[in-house]
Parts: sequence; C-alpha cells; structure tokens
Amino acid sequence: MKKFKFPMRYVPISATILVFFIVYLIGIISFDNFGSPKVFLDLFVDNAYLGIAVIGTALVILTGGIDLSVGSIIAFTSILIAKMIATGSNALVAIALALAIGIAFGMLQGWLIHCFSLPPFLVTLAGMFFIRGCGFIVSEESIGIKNDPVFNFIQNDLTIKLGKGMNLRFIVIVYIVVLLAAIFFSQRTRSGRSIYAIGDNELAATLMGIPVGRTKIMTYTIAGFCSALAGVVYAVYLKAGNPLNCVGLEMDAIAAVVIGGTLLTGGVGYVFGSLFGVLVLGLIQTLIVFDGRINSWWTRIIVGLLVLAFIFMQNLITKISKSKSKSQ
Amino acid sequence: MNKFATVIMAAAAATLLVTGCSKSDSSKIKVGFSQVGAESDWRKASTESIKGEAEKRAIIELTFSDAQQKQENQIKAIRNFISKGVDVISFSPVVATGFEDVLKEAKEAEIPVVLFDRAVDVSEDGLYVSFIGSDFVEEGRRAGRWVVKNVGENANVAELVGTVGSAPAIDRKKGFEEIIANYPGIKIIKSQSGDFTRAKGKEVMESFLKSPEADQIQVLFAHNDDMALGAIQAIEEAGKKPGKDIIIISIDGVKTMFEQILAGKANCTVECNPLIGAQLFDVVEQIHAGKSVPSRIPSVEGVYDNVGGVNVGTDREPVVTKKITQEIVDSRKY
Amino acid sequence: MNKSSNKFRHLIWPLVSLALLLLFNAIFTDNFFKIEIKKQDSAQAVQSTAVPDDLPGAAGTAAAQAAAEEVEAAKQTVKESAGQQAVPEKKDDKGVSIFGYYLYGTPIDILNQGSKVMVLAIGMTLVIATGGIDISVGAVMAIAGAIAALLISMLDAGNCIGAGMGPAWYWIIPVAAALVLSTLAGFWNGMLVAGFGIQPMVATLVLMVAGRGVAQLITDGQIITFDNPGLVFLCNGHALFLPFSVWIVVAMYVIFGLLTRKTAFGLFIESVGNNERASRYAGIEARRIKWLTYVICGFCAGMAGLLAASNIKCADSNNAGLNLELDAILATVIGGTSMAGGRFFLSGSLVGAILIQTLTTTMYMKNVSPAIVAVPKAMVVIIVCLLQSPVFRAKVLSIFASKAAKGGVQ
Repeated sequence: MKKFKFPMRYVPISATILVFFIVYLIGIISFDNFGSPKVFLDLFVDNAYLGIAVIGTALVILTGGIDLSVGSIIAFTSILIAKMIATGSNALVAIALALAIGIAFGMLQGWLIHCFSLPPFLVTLAGMFFIRGCGFIVSEESIGIKNDPVFNFIQNDLTIKLGKGMNLRFIVIVYIVVLLAAIFFSQRTRSGRSIYAIGDNELAATLMGIPVGRTKIMTYTIAGFCSALAGVVYAVYLKAGNPLNCVGLEMDAIAAVVIGGTLLTGGVGYVFGSLFGVLVLGLIQTLIVFDGRINSWWTRIIVGLLVLAFIFMQNLITKISKSKSKSQ
Repeated sequence: MNKFATVIMAAAAATLLVTGCSKSDSSKIKVGFSQVGAESDWRKASTESIKGEAEKRAIIELTFSDAQQKQENQIKAIRNFISKGVDVISFSPVVATGFEDVLKEAKEAEIPVVLFDRAVDVSEDGLYVSFIGSDFVEEGRRAGRWVVKNVGENANVAELVGTVGSAPAIDRKKGFEEIIANYPGIKIIKSQSGDFTRAKGKEVMESFLKSPEADQIQVLFAHNDDMALGAIQAIEEAGKKPGKDIIIISIDGVKTMFEQILAGKANCTVECNPLIGAQLFDVVEQIHAGKSVPSRIPSVEGVYDNVGGVNVGTDREPVVTKKITQEIVDSRKY
Repeated sequence: MNKSSNKFRHLIWPLVSLALLLLFNAIFTDNFFKIEIKKQDSAQAVQSTAVPDDLPGAAGTAAAQAAAEEVEAAKQTVKESAGQQAVPEKKDDKGVSIFGYYLYGTPIDILNQGSKVMVLAIGMTLVIATGGIDISVGAVMAIAGAIAALLISMLDAGNCIGAGMGPAWYWIIPVAAALVLSTLAGFWNGMLVAGFGIQPMVATLVLMVAGRGVAQLITDGQIITFDNPGLVFLCNGHALFLPFSVWIVVAMYVIFGLLTRKTAFGLFIESVGNNERASRYAGIEARRIKWLTYVICGFCAGMAGLLAASNIKCADSNNAGLNLELDAILATVIGGTSMAGGRFFLSGSLVGAILIQTLTTTMYMKNVSPAIVAVPKAMVVIIVCLLQSPVFRAKVLSIFASKAAKGGVQ
C-alpha cells in the first residue's frame, strides 16, 4: 500500500467516482429496475441542462470566483425563446439571440467584477435578481412551444433510438460535446491553464505575465454562454419556457462542483469531475423517488452532508500536501 | 485510508435511508404520485388524503414524491416512475406547460396517466387518461357570482392574486373578471400578488390599506385562504372589521378559514377540494381493471359562507352555498 | 474634512438613495407619509400628522387638506364612540400597547416589515466584517420559527414541560428554545469556518441547503399556527407608540453597537477582516473572534425567524426567510460595509435594510408586480456598490480630472 503512490490531486475526483458507484450499487440492491440502462440514460437526459450550467460554474470557481446568476439566466433564456416563437419568430433566431444575450450578460458581469474589483458574489447576485426580473417582464406566465419546425426536428430527427423507451436525445449529445470541449479547453489550452494559475494565486499569475483581466472576463463570458446554452437545452427539454423555473439552481450547481472535487478557493479540480458531481446529485434524487416513502426533503439534507464531507476531504488534502511540501 | 472515511460515512448515511426497502410485490397496483410540494395547508391535506387512502387499500402500492414546487424535480420523478415500472402514474402539475415529452414517454411505455388538481397544456390528445380536480376558472366565477348576489352590483374590489404565472392564479382571476365584466359597477381597484402565502398576503394588504383608495375597498377577493388569513390580520390592525367593513371572499375552504367565517371575520370561501384520495384510487383501480373512465372528473365541491342558500352556480347547474356552523367546522379535517 | 463628517461619511450614499426614494413617494404616492395615532381598542383615528417639509407645494397642500378632513372625521367618531360603552378587550386582540396608543401608517409598516432584515443585517454585518459571509440565515430563520411553533403547540396541548406556567408566560420557552437552537446553528457555522478553516460561503451553504429540510422535518411539513399572546406580541404588539419589533431592532442595535464600539471586540473584528494573519501575530485570537461573529449571526437569524413567525402567527417552513439572506447581504453592502472585510457600519446596514423594504413597499403601492421588483433592486445594488468602489471612484475622478486639465489648457 505504501509503495503505490497515488497522486494526491486525483484523490477528490476518485472519491467522487467512488461515491457515484456506491450510490448506484445501493440503488441496484434496493430496487427493481434501478439497474436498467434507462435509469442511467435518464440521468443524462434529465440533468443535461444542469450539467452544462455546472461546466460554466466550475470554470468560474476554478478562477476563485463564483457565479450565482446561473438559474436565472436559464429561466430567462427559456422564456425568451418560448415568447419569441409564440410571437412568430424563427426558432433559430430566438436561440441565437438568447445565446448572444447570455454571452453579453456574462461579459458584463466579468467586466464589473474585474474592472471595478467588485466582489463576484455581489455582482452575480445582483445579476441573478436582474435577469430573473427581466424574465418576468418577457412573460409572467409559462409559455409552451408548440408545432415549431426546428424544435420538432430536434425532437424527432436528432434523437437516436436505442430501444424501447430509450432515446439518446440530442440534448445529451450537446452536453457531452460541451463537456469534452471544456475539458480540452481547461487542460490543453493556454487560456485554460491561465484559469488554474489565477485561481491558485492571482498575484503570482499577474507577476508571471498572465493576462488576468482578460482571462477572468473570458471565464465569466463562458459561464454566461454555458448558462444561456443550458437555457436553450432546457427549452428543448421541456418545449416550454417559464420565468419561475430553476430557482436556486445555482446552489445545486455549486454543490455539484464541490462534489465533483473542485476546490472552492479555486485553482484545484477538474471539469471532468463536474460530470460525476451532477450524476451523484441526480442519482440521489432518483433513489429517493424510487423509494417513494421518505420525505423528499431528505434529498436536500443528504446533498448538504455530501458537500460537507467533500469539503472536509479537500481540507485534509490541502493540509497534508502543505505539510509534505514543508517537510521536503 | 483516513481520507476515505468521510466518503464511507456519507455512503453509510445513504444506506441507512434505504434500509428496509423491499422489492415490490407484483400482485399489487403500483402507483407513482408526484405532488407539487407542501406549500400550503391545502396541499398538505391533499397529500395526507392520498397517502391515507393508499394505506387503506391493500391492493395499492404507492410511490410518493414531493417536487418541492419545482417542475424540474417533477419531470425527473415522472421519468423515474416510468423506469421503475409503475402501473399508473398520477401527478399534480407544477405548471401547465412542459410535460409533453415526458407524457409521450409514459404513453410509449403504456403507463396510463391520471392528472390531479391542475391540467396540462399539450398539443395532442390521449397523453393522459383522466383529469380529476377542480375547475379554477369556475371557482373564480363562483366567487364573482357570490359578490354580485351578496354585495350588489356596485362594489370596489381589492384582489390578492396568487403566485405570478401559476395556473390557479391566472384561472381564478379570469373567472372572477368574466363575471364582473357584466357589472360595470364592480371594479377591481387594487390587485397585487401575495404569492399564496400568509406573510405576503398580510404585507400586501397592509400596503393596500394605506393607499389613497384604502377607504373605498369594500370587498377583498383572495385567490386562496392563506392570503386571506394574512389579510384579515392586516385589516384588524388597521382598525377595520374584517367581514363587515371589508367583505372577504377567498378560495380553498380550509378549516382555519371556516373558523374565521364562523367568527364573522370573513364571509365566504369557495371550496377547492383537496380530499381526492378516494376518487383518485377508484379511478386507478378502474383503469387497472381495463374499464374506461371519463376524461374529466370534477371533484365534489361546495361553497361555504355566512349567509347560506345563495346560488353561485348557473341556473342550469345550481350550486347553493352552505352556511357555516360549528358542526361543519368540527367535521373539517384540514 | 473634519472628523465628525468623516464619521458619517459612509452613511451618505445609502441615506441619499433612501431620501430620493422617499421623495419619489412623497410626490407620486398619496398618503405615503400619513401617520395616524390609533388607540389600542379597535383603533379610532384620533389625529393625523406628519406632512414632511420637503413636500412640493401642491401635493403638500392637498395632503394637508386631506389630513385636516381626516381629523374632523376622527373627532366626530371619537365623540360618537365616547357615548357608547367601552367594549371589553379580547385577550388575543392585536394592537396591545403599553400606553394605549400607537402610530399607524406606511412608514411604520416599513419599519415593522423591515425589522426581520434589519435584525439579520446586524449579524450579517459582523460576519462580513471578518471577511466572511453567512448564506444560511434564511434557513436558520425557518428552523427557529418551526421549533417555536412546534413547542408552543405542544405547550398549548399541555404535553410539554413548563405548560404549568400558563399561556401568559410559557411562551418564553419556545422563544428561548428558538434562540438557543439558532445560536447553535451559528456555532456550527462558526465551527466549520473558524474551527476547520472552510471557506465561509461553502461552509454556510451546507446549512442553507440542509436547513430548510430540517425545518420541514420539525414541523412535519405542516404550517403550524398559534395564537399565544406573548409570541404574537413580538411582531404585532406595540410599545411606546411603535411596533414592538422596532424596539427589538433598537435593543439589538444598542447591544451589538456597544459591544463592538465600546469594547475592543469591534476593533478585533476589523483587524481580523483586514489581515487575519497579522492580527494573529498581534495576539488576537482570530479564530475565536470569527467564531463569535457566526454565533451572533445565528442568534440574529433566530430572532428574525421569531419575528417572521410572529408576524403571521404561524411557522411556514417553506416560505419563512426565503431569499432573505440575500436581502441581508444587500442591506449590509448598501450600508457601506466592505465585502472584503475590515470595516463595518451597523447603522449603515440598518439604513440599507430600510431602503430595501421601502423599495418593496413602494412597488406594492404602485401596483408593480413583485416579480419585477428584482430588476430595480439589482440596479440599485450595483449602483451603490459602484459608488462605494474605490476603483470606480478613482476612474470617474480621473475622467473629471482630465477634463478639468483640458479646460485649464484651453
């Protein structure tokens, strides 16, 4: 055991994957049909929008910041698309506009945070209020998207049938593509590495000549894009928009990032981990629905405990690696 | 190994929760029910009615899920019901839109769906077998008719609207306005959302009572009892007599509201019956036995006030109000 | 700049914003400033007062006229009612006041409804001053309300220790229990932050996520109503003309104001917020100071939870304190406390809380949908933050300076 050297930085992500399999195993042992591939596939279908939003949150957290506007942007985007389609616009135009607004909004938040050194928590909090209010201005009622050619095309022609009741939906493919792109971006590109450097030590990064301002604004812009894309996916998923949806989703996103093994102070973690963070959240929810007797509020409590456990583990690891570097 | 201790602890906690879950018995009818949440007394009463009735019937095996007022949770729950392989799915939609895909999936899996309380907005027929529940528009109309018959054809109304964008808020407003449109003397002079909660109902009513139009308010129409109960407190604090200075009419019919009406602090509540457990499982058993069921089953509902004998239905389908007595209050379960 | 103006400089921006908002209401909302004095029994209007000086002429005279009519009408009713026999007070009636009179009007409502956020903001200010944050206060409010309502219902039913004290006194038990429990919640947050060194936002996220679930379990998902006169008095009763809740705020402000400004505690908080390591080297128990601020914040949240429950005479675990943590943070920041820690202004936070509540009440009176309230709120926050940001000021100043320089050259 002592001879095998397991790199410390892989511990949190391995723990996440371990938790995922333990929860999955508990489900399979306890319930019929829990092990069916449909349950696994549904995890992706039902959490694709959350997953995409979590990618943006994860990148922002890696820089040491935070983004609370996620849920509101999703709600705003979905209602905007639904409203535009209901008033006769082309769906593609609506989607493009929604994405553009998401990007612009993310950029604005990043600009305020960087250029006026306002706390990210506060700016994105105000952003959250603002954009949700805008959603209500677009429409106070939920609007369904009916008989739209683009949405029907996505629904009917871009879905891969894998068997009875099992459909690999387009939104799942979108999620996986975005996830892979984000993994590549964060690990293999200069800007991606800059994010880690800034999150680890902003001052050091500045001194090293890394364009801190540009990278930070870029990260918030990407987060805005991810949230808007999550909103588009959400609109496709529901075929509807509702300004009331996704209240408090930002907290789920942060929880998923933490459970996915990313350190909240920034600089440590993998975008890949966020996938398992999202899946663990989804599995816990599925487990409680399958049981159907215990109070659903236990979902919240278990997620709270899991977050706590991961924070403790992260703390321990930081301390161990610090003491190691000292002893060396 | 120390570092894995926390993970194992978390896993142990999860295991604790599911211990004792046995695999299901195939001779039973498995029903998956997804409730909106536990946001009000009314909702709680409906949950208890469903759970209680399921326990009473040996043949029913209920899987219950609470969506915590979030549509995303509800859709996940319905998908999980499909995966779990329940025989009948029933749910009370959080909003009307956005359920089409998941309902299609249920149809593909040949699982009949019974809606309860609120309808869904879908573009094709046959996605659900039956809808049990109240007609929110009709509730609003009944409230409107009661005002016309008891207050007269001239009245200034303050309205406490439910959660912005929610189906009951939209429909109840629509129904009420439909009736008073015929009487130009009845005007809604104040209208604001109280979010279906007591706290907001009180806060908004306080602001109504301080507005320049405060003294003109003759009637308060609240979209649910909780808001009306909050408003009653605000009216009393303003030194007015609820039920006399301001006529109060609301919708739902919870016990606390009955008590207020009996005490003379409110005037009328249009019942929106949450106790549909028995009705629901009757339909479920019929469906399971292969019998056909009507696609729209109205729940049995009355209107209660402090006058009695007022017809708030139409001439063809009269609905006569019942005067609230101590016996009615005592027999109320929720 | 002399010393006294420096002392209140932080209050300028929030006060200016508040004044602007009030001015808007004075002009565009009739009756906004009308305050009546009401008597405790079924409350007759005795006198109406208060037309602020800054009212523009036309609106002012109109309001004054209306007020005068009001007084006439009130006098008449008083004369009439004097002839009648006094109706004996029911025990559970509201408006119980020590001297029998209380003020009634929109500004009073703002104070009463804003009391929850004001109490929260006091605790939040101290936490933020250490460079931390507590986002669990809303959930803690729900827990406090839930436990208080549960205990009072048990006491009413007579199956709890202390039921022998009678309803006039046993309300102390739930109040104490709620405060103890919420203080423990604060202790837990403090332990995670100061004891284990976890980032505050995340440490309190745990309780924020799990806390409302706990409250739900306490009340078994039900809305528990109560009518115990003691508990109801907290947010519905009146003392010395004002709602009792206002006096709670004043008491807490005085206690924590004295604690932070008349002892070294405040200095320690600022020192920890400025530079934790340096203050540790200087011999300040940084951990203990931080821990204590979270405990205080928990206590404040418990008090706010009691006020929220008392206001509507029931514990609604689902909605009590929902999103109020955000309001409390906003109030603190608007009041001039730096999110980075190191300086704090309790009075500023109170002004901030009043500003937020005034904004909300204005929206109600103007029939604006509460959903849209968020938009102006967000803009106010960003503007106030920008005004307080040294970077922003420097940039704006440099623009002015360069313009002035150009002007000079020409």
